[in-house]
Amino acid sequence: MISRIFDNLLGRGSAAVTVPPMDGALKPNNQLENLQPGIPAAQVDDIVEWKGEPLWSDGATLVSRSGVQAELPSVITALAALDDTLVVATLDDGLILLGGDYQRAEIAWATPITNVTAISVDQSGVILFCTGSQTNAPNEWRRDLMETNQSGMIGRANPKTGEVRILAKNLRYPSGIATTASGSIVYSEAWASHIVEMSADGSNAQIIFDEIPGYPGRLCRQENGTFWLSVFAPRNPLIEFVLREPAYRKAMLQEVAPEFWIAPHFYSGRYFNEPMQGGALKQMGILKPWAPTRSYGLVIELSSTFIPLRSFHSRTGGSRHGITSALQSGNTLWMACRGNGEILEMQLVEKGKAL
Amino acid sequence: MTVPVVEMLDVTKEFHGNPAIRNVSFDLRPGEIHSLLGENGAGKSTLTKMIAGVHEPTKGQVQYLGKPVSFSSPQEALENGIAMVFQETNLVPSLTVAQNLELGNEKLLNRLRGLYISAQQFLQSLSFEVDPTALVSQLGAAQKQMVEIARAVRHNARVIIFDEPTATLTPEEKHHFFNLVERLKNDGVSIIFISHALEEALNISDRITILRDGMHVITDDASNFDRDTIIQHMVGRNLTDELYGKDKVKRQTRPLGKRVLSVQNLSMGSMVRNTSFSVFEGQVTGVFGLIGSGRTETFKIVAGVNKRNLFHGGEVRLDGKPVRYRVPRQAILDGIVYVTEDRKIEGFFETKSIAENIYSGLIGADLNQKSVVSYSEMAALAKTWTDRLNVKAIDNKSKVIELSGGNQQKVVLAKALVQKPKLIILDEPTRGVDVGAIAEIHELIHELATSGLPVVVISSYLPEILSLSDRILVSRQGRIVEEFSIDDATEERIMYAAVH
Repeated sequence: MISRIFDNLLGRGSAAVTVPPMDGALKPNNQLENLQPGIPAAQVDDIVEWKGEPLWSDGATLVSRSGVQAELPSVITALAALDDTLVVATLDDGLILLGGDYQRAEIAWATPITNVTAISVDQSGVILFCTGSQTNAPNEWRRDLMETNQSGMIGRANPKTGEVRILAKNLRYPSGIATTASGSIVYSEAWASHIVEMSADGSNAQIIFDEIPGYPGRLCRQENGTFWLSVFAPRNPLIEFVLREPAYRKAMLQEVAPEFWIAPHFYSGRYFNEPMQGGALKQMGILKPWAPTRSYGLVIELSSTFIPLRSFHSRTGGSRHGITSALQSGNTLWMACRGNGEILEMQLVEKGKAL
Repeated sequence: MTVPVVEMLDVTKEFHGNPAIRNVSFDLRPGEIHSLLGENGAGKSTLTKMIAGVHEPTKGQVQYLGKPVSFSSPQEALENGIAMVFQETNLVPSLTVAQNLELGNEKLLNRLRGLYISAQQFLQSLSFEVDPTALVSQLGAAQKQMVEIARAVRHNARVIIFDEPTATLTPEEKHHFFNLVERLKNDGVSIIFISHALEEALNISDRITILRDGMHVITDDASNFDRDTIIQHMVGRNLTDELYGKDKVKRQTRPLGKRVLSVQNLSMGSMVRNTSFSVFEGQVTGVFGLIGSGRTETFKIVAGVNKRNLFHGGEVRLDGKPVRYRVPRQAILDGIVYVTEDRKIEGFFETKSIAENIYSGLIGADLNQKSVVSYSEMAALAKTWTDRLNVKAIDNKSKVIELSGGNQQKVVLAKALVQKPKLIILDEPTRGVDVGAIAEIHELIHELATSGLPVVVISSYLPEILSLSDRILVSRQGRIVEEFSIDDATEERIMYAAVH
């Protein structure tokens, strides 16, 4: 208690409004910005390889390169492939299974699975899922952050038996999950800006990648054991400051339209009345190089030991912000860019370079 | 033919029977800038000290204005027009700048106001921005050096000997200094210039003399030398490639390891301003910046030597955990070791032996095996490290002050390495170190990084930064402003980032 008072007074510890630096393998570049225009997908969210080609969610529809494949009654919040079955999480129906012809398979889960932000399938065919928050749906993620909730969960759902088991709870918005070659589970905790590894039974949880300069989202493991991590929004000192001011946040949530909250976003700079516009960002119509941003585009490749190897960026002045998912298929990296509403395609060459 | 101002004929100087200078002949012409170069321990300072009356030659003769002389003290040499600006300043810390300038020329009654006015005018005429009323103890190293130079000029010397005068000066101050030297030369003053900065010597000198192991190697016009030939004469072999690896392709960048240190929005007064960066294990992180760019101060905060701002001073995270040290010892116990740029003041106990200095590092980190000083442990430790780092001394009981700059630095490094660091910060690791020892220190730094240790090297010398680093951070006006991978880095790009 006393240390918190001192921290608040001196701006230290929990009251420090500091943000980890983007350097080393996270050194900013413009590789996302330099890509060719992608496939339009206004509400794109997750992307998965199914039947040998990328398939993505765009609002309530499932889309591939050849066009819309299916339309579901509710907005899709996560995708995963389980052999010939597509595992889909939606806002209204929770976790559902679709067959090869996109027909919904009947499954009765022992307990309802809602607010799913990410799904993965382990080697035994069991579904691993992240519930971002017990109180806010995935499309309300900004509210969840501003309420500083800690009600996320990681669970296992067996599609053969309908059994559901919670492996970890009271998490700070888990939003990405994958398994490692050794069978352990890794998940990203967005509001804590770190990645955690735990045993398949949920024990021995430990942080393996900390101090991410943004909010980490979905994780995608490659055949060679490396991972792609999508960072869907950046941290910045102003937002960190707002996050430690409960009275201000409460008033902001009640009185200000969500679009104009001082909070991270998939995109920014579209409206003149956004926070941090005008002189804070631009001078004489030119974006300041040091301008803080509420949105950013960032995809990180992590080694099998979770050391960053390289990263692709779209910086403050760019538009390819809000990367919510990434998938490598052969030498192509597919990325869901929610901020600009498009599916991006990047040809990967040797490490550190992209066409 | 003009008569040399100073001429040394077959001079030898021995200390306890060991020759420091052997049969050296040297001459200094009127109005000439003559650079004296050589490795540490080559005998440059000893040679010039014989001119300035600090030492008397054991054999041979010193002539001044064509007559044999034997000055019994620097004061006598000064009275005869020979001034020496020493590497370590000889100012009286408790006196003001003006009083120091006047020291030795005092009248029976001195009026302070008049003293300050004349000192002010004099310093301004040299373009030195130093307050004449300031106490010398309150001045920085560069300003002390300026006062020392001003003092030599003040005494209307006909010969001025500068021993490493530019080591502590900023580029702008160096510019002033070289302008001043040119002016002195035009006024007919003869100058002996001792420096490890070979480019400076090449640019400023009329002639260059090179010494090696106390012996004369060559004297010739500066236009007949280049950097490589100087080094070749200094060490007897071509070290440029070995030292600074002109061919960068030869060296593979070490892969990035785990982030060990994360500095976030760190601030300390006007010296460190909202700076953020990381240091990774298994790599050498080079930090370049001009003097005054806040690079040393930033890392001194990390090491607990300096304190960040009390309010919103930012965060330092070691292995992900926030740390804030009140004293360096806490940092040492956490595995952060800072090797200072000013080894003579902060790096070692000069009157203690090599063994005692190295052992003091062990005690500082609480790693000594016994709770009392163990002389056997001390001796064994000293032997291990002096062998490993190839410290050249009569024995490990020699006082550190008696060693050459390179060997002193090796002792400081040994003292740091016995502390089993998790992060090692080397501030100007080769400043005032001879080229032979530079190669050894560079090799050690590469070894440390290859073994997985995160190493930070702060240096003002671009070829050194380029040859050692896996990634390069550039500091300007109190913050890290640019990061270069070794593939992207060139001297021009780094300097541009440091200046603009």
